[in-house]
Amino acid sequence: MSPWKQWKRAFDQWEGTTAHFIEQWMKSPLLLEPAGAWLSAAMRVKALADKTTAAWWGSLGLPTKRDQERALHALNKLESRLLDLEEQLEDTREELARVRAHDHEHAA
Amino acid sequence: MIRSVLNLLRRSGRPTPAVGQTPADVVHRENKWTLLRYRMRPEGLAYRTPVLLVPSLINRHYVLDLMPGKSFVEHMVAQGHDVYIIDWGTPTDEDRYVDFDEICDRTIGRALRVATRTSGQPRAHLLGYCLGGTLTTIHAAVHPQRVASLLALAAPIRFADDGLLSRWTRTKSFDVDALVEGTGNVPWPLMQAAFHMLRPTLTLSKVAGLLDRAWDDEFLDGFLAIERWGNDNVSFPGEAYRRYIQALYRDDELAAGTMTLAGRPVRLEDIERPVLTIAFTHDHIVPCDSAAVLDQWVGSEDHECWTLPGGHVGAVVSRKAASGLWPRISQWWAEREVGAEPLE
Repeated sequence: MSPWKQWKRAFDQWEGTTAHFIEQWMKSPLLLEPAGAWLSAAMRVKALADKTTAAWWGSLGLPTKRDQERALHALNKLESRLLDLEEQLEDTREELARVRAHDHEHAA
Repeated sequence: MIRSVLNLLRRSGRPTPAVGQTPADVVHRENKWTLLRYRMRPEGLAYRTPVLLVPSLINRHYVLDLMPGKSFVEHMVAQGHDVYIIDWGTPTDEDRYVDFDEICDRTIGRALRVATRTSGQPRAHLLGYCLGGTLTTIHAAVHPQRVASLLALAAPIRFADDGLLSRWTRTKSFDVDALVEGTGNVPWPLMQAAFHMLRPTLTLSKVAGLLDRAWDDEFLDGFLAIERWGNDNVSFPGEAYRRYIQALYRDDELAAGTMTLAGRPVRLEDIERPVLTIAFTHDHIVPCDSAAVLDQWVGSEDHECWTLPGGHVGAVVSRKAASGLWPRISQWWAEREVGAEPLE
């Protein structure tokens, strides 16, 4: 067996063992709880900073980023509801065509 | 190894292999998502019932159409299936308000209606991969009307397991509301970091594997295409993420039978169409049992579970999958052709 193949085999064994060990370690609440607390705290600070900026911006009578996001989302929802109506109209047309064809057959 | 290094040097500076090459047309576009219909093979369709593929919300759809010769979609088109796929697109800031019901109820519903209407068929086979499988399963339980069959491919169904993702999302100090408030759409680098945590040695392992087999151009092309896909992720719409974590990971509502979709109860025992569950034994992202459990919970009399060796992505896009898994899936659909014999 070539030195590279020997090294690769040893590496694979090491990798499997190490991955298993790290996985067990990372599942520990001793690691997950502080990580969760740190992430949540950082996000709260960011949300507060965004809110403060938006309040200042809003006090000037200008639309905030959230205002724009809400308006764009409302437009997207409106488009979606219009597509619903188009679909319903299409369904009604098809149903009508079916009924007419049926009536035509009966009349004939 | 020397041959591998020489080949890597020879290939350096060249563009990475093109992905998602199977010809397709956009048949519907709404907000950021599009529905693609792949062009049929020159000799026409062999099966009337369309197939709708629903990939994970946070990954690009082209994992199922990776590259010529390594494409699930290309294979299915070549077998004569009428294939559609949802491309979720890239959410922008306003999509933080897109919620779980919008995606699971309305988007998948629309995609199913457009696919069946375009193909002129009453129902479509539904295939959901990873989170896409969770979404299609929930949808099929509530809206079975246009579903010919359900195929859940490595889809998490029971979220309360011993896996790292499950433990992380259940960590008491992890405040999902603060995360959504702070980020809007949950950024993909954050989610990718969580996936890297699942196997921190993976990068080293990939390098060693690359050095071992980079002399093989076919392997190298596949490796580069997968890497490109793996680093091309999308952020998760904030409101949808909030419910996904709370209802599925924390409250395990699918297992408890308390899940609702747009106000309607989601009962997996209501799924009476044929169901195929596929789970992989070495899947680090969706533990095998978490996916396989669907087979025990559906109400369908025609249900199967295939538990196969392999990982979350490799088992779906590998050379082995092309000669084993894909033809079996095509055959499973062919045997469940709706209302008529195959066209051939």
